[in-house]
Amino acid sequence: MAVTGSIDEVRDWILRRHPERQTIDAEENLIQTRLVDSLTFVELVYVVESTTGVEIDFDNIDIQNFQTLATIEKAFFITA
Amino acid sequence: MVSNLINPDKRFLEILDRLRDKSIDDYYNPYRLFKWPEILPDDMWWMSPELTTTYGTSVAERLTEQQLHALSKFESINFYSLNVHGIRELLIEVTRRIHTKGFETPSEFFHHFIGEENEHMWFFAEFCLRYGKKIYRQPSGAGMEMPKPEVETLLVFVRILIFEELVDHFNSRMATDDRLHDTVRAINRIHHQDESRHIAFGRELVTVLFADVRRTSTEQELAGLADYLRRYLTYSFESLFNPHVYRDAGLADPLAVREELLVSPTRAEFERSVFRKTSKFLEKIGIIP
Repeated sequence: MAVTGSIDEVRDWILRRHPERQTIDAEENLIQTRLVDSLTFVELVYVVESTTGVEIDFDNIDIQNFQTLATIEKAFFITA
Repeated sequence: MVSNLINPDKRFLEILDRLRDKSIDDYYNPYRLFKWPEILPDDMWWMSPELTTTYGTSVAERLTEQQLHALSKFESINFYSLNVHGIRELLIEVTRRIHTKGFETPSEFFHHFIGEENEHMWFFAEFCLRYGKKIYRQPSGAGMEMPKPEVETLLVFVRILIFEELVDHFNSRMATDDRLHDTVRAINRIHHQDESRHIAFGRELVTVLFADVRRTSTEQELAGLADYLRRYLTYSFESLFNPHVYRDAGLADPLAVREELLVSPTRAEFERSVFRKTSKFLEKIGIIP
């Protein structure tokens, strides 16, 4: 399955929502640090979908895949 | 705990009795009530145009009437899908509490509430599956934060109330909009009729729950609660702008469409009108400044 975008677009989207931040480390936990919370999670999923061009199965979302930029990249951007 | 707050409140007890009696008097069989035509025409307004997310925007200007009709169909399926998911979440929360310690007094009303909400979920799902061939999904990520136990019940019932009031804004208008198909008007009318009772109950309950939380919270905690609720109102409103809807209606770059609509000059007024009564109520009881 070919994906079209890069994880940088997801990082940029989070940074736009958090102007107090300049960078986000790939291993930084997005949920524990509240960069993403229950009210912005749905938008994060939309952004990953839009960036990769691949539809995500909303009924089977594994929250572990959304913990860090690295886990998002591994789950949705790196194809075998 | 909730029973202890309600029991000394004679007015609340009378309202509970009246709402229960009204539920019994208005009881209907939803499985026989509606006419479900085999198909509904594609080329019609499926929602009142003023209630669609593109109304008065630059996006709408780029679309033909036929495209706007198609978009209104998918927006209506999204709206009823939000109802399905919202009802499931509130049923989980109310069912978790019925006939447990502290909820003795409202439990009888909860029976009517649960029964009616189950029926609403059925007819909304039926509409989606018959005419849209799908129910739009919502990513499950909510509930990641653990609120303090003493405010958890308050948050549950405020969220239920916000959801019901948002939906009712649409139902009450579409119930009487003669541009819409009879079946569309009917499901909105019936839902509005039942929700009026649920909203009346919700407002009373939220009022007493918040009065209790206010007594036992710091200023900082109350400010945090207000901030969360403001964000929750925005989140609820923005759930109407589903990129999958724009995709299904054939619009290019659906997430960009969503973002364009969310920053549109018409957005603020749309949001204000949807939550006019809700914000007024929340401000009146002091939960948001």
